[in-house]
Amino acid sequence: MGQQGDFLHVLREHGYAVDNLCQPFNGGASPGHTDITTGTTVFALKYVDGVLVAGDRRATAGNVVMYDRTDKVLELDRFSVLAIAGVPATAFEMARILEHSFKYYRRSQLQDLSFEGKLRALSTLLKSNAPAALAGTGTVAPIFAGYDQLEGCGKIFFYDILGAEFEAVEYAVSGSGSSTIRGILFYMNRWGGGPVAGMNEEDALTFVLRLMTSAAEFDSATGGVDAQAQLYPVVKRISAEGVRTFPAERLKLLFSEKVLNHV
Amino acid sequence: MYEEPYRWIEAVANRRQYLDDQFTQGNPLVVVSFTQGILLLTFNRGTEKVYEIYDRIALGGMGHPADLEKLRYALLDMAHVEGFQRSPADVTVSRLMKNGLAPVIKQAFEEIFKAPYIAKILLAEVGATQDRDRLFNINYDGMFEEQREFGLLAASASIRSLLTQEWKNLSPLSSLRSAMEVSLRLWGIASYLQTSTPSTDTEEQGSTSLPATSMSTIPDDTAIVSRIRETLSKETLECVLLDRESGRMETYRTLSQSELQSFIPSVFQPAT
Repeated sequence: MGQQGDFLHVLREHGYAVDNLCQPFNGGASPGHTDITTGTTVFALKYVDGVLVAGDRRATAGNVVMYDRTDKVLELDRFSVLAIAGVPATAFEMARILEHSFKYYRRSQLQDLSFEGKLRALSTLLKSNAPAALAGTGTVAPIFAGYDQLEGCGKIFFYDILGAEFEAVEYAVSGSGSSTIRGILFYMNRWGGGPVAGMNEEDALTFVLRLMTSAAEFDSATGGVDAQAQLYPVVKRISAEGVRTFPAERLKLLFSEKVLNHV
Repeated sequence: MYEEPYRWIEAVANRRQYLDDQFTQGNPLVVVSFTQGILLLTFNRGTEKVYEIYDRIALGGMGHPADLEKLRYALLDMAHVEGFQRSPADVTVSRLMKNGLAPVIKQAFEEIFKAPYIAKILLAEVGATQDRDRLFNINYDGMFEEQREFGLLAASASIRSLLTQEWKNLSPLSSLRSAMEVSLRLWGIASYLQTSTPSTDTEEQGSTSLPATSMSTIPDDTAIVSRIRETLSKETLECVLLDRESGRMETYRTLSQSELQSFIPSVFQPAT
């Protein structure tokens, strides 16, 4: 039927294995021995105008760098993004399913899916993916950030690999590089001269670049900033006007002025 | 009793007559392609007639709302599954029409023990450039045709061919404002002809070799203006733009009532 605007239902009718995005390998190597790409740093933080979401661009498999231009901060619709950490194959597929689910709902029901509804959709996907998550072949621990139009504010949610949902008060981090910046964020919020949520765009963006550089310093799986190769993290802004991506030139300028030179 | 071929043909003819009657009260829908995109214009009495199907695709409908809903869902499912499993670029009106809509409508029309769809549908797809815009029109019997730059849903085929001629005098259009003005005028003509032409002027006859001009001619300006004025005061103007210049994947935008007010030429504004 699909008359309720449920895209997963429509996909199931067409024989797509929605409930088994990444089947655990039977009798395969244990997770510790498989080279699955999982290294990452993604985070989101609130600032004065809304939310900033950032992700590094490195994809690794074990100690091999697979790719240095990955985009891990994915726009799901005009008002929400998914920052992915975990197995990319499953994570990208989840993002694609969500993007189409939101579109399908809006077009069929002639109204936007509510913010709560979007959160539920992501939780449902993560829960149905639990066997693969536990086996290690489909582990995904994403951050969802969006603008709640009913309440008129930006919101951040983070998830464990089984789909439990937590709302972040000020910030959320995920990925192998996250422990480094989690400490920094805690320190800055407490003793850094005012909460991060009170920063203006310029300061918040500088802070984001510094955090990413710190994560890359201590985590080999995080790409950080490579100014020589013109490689900057993906940073998106979510506000009442919707999602916007910061152009590389803006990041480049900030990086050379306020990150590289230790102002 | 329908086992005999003659009976079957008779039944189909009855069905045409029944369906043609259903559309005479319907609101025409005008679609024009211009530099900025594709504009779909109609009036409604409460139920919307224009819908978003996919990133670059809109549907305009005429007929029974329940039937339109059913067909709209079929199109939405097909478009989104295709867009998800292959790519958004693979979702085209040509495929939606030929593989999706046409067989379903034709089958329903010819199964004479079941109810046909009371629906005429126009699908519009905006391209990267104007020459890639695509318009498809389907009748209640499953006959579809591709149209260039101008599309119309109306009660009879003769109105359609007459307006296609008129469109050639009014095109090309270079702005949203002129697209609005021309569409509104064409809508007025279609609506006027639909209610003033004799009821013998049906889809069936219009599509035979009778020249369109023998059935009816373009009404004079005062008739058009008074028809539009009258409708503006009673019904809701509904306009959707598939915006080629949106800069985003999604191009569908419903024009707000305040936007519409600024676009309607003063001559059509109801006298206050």
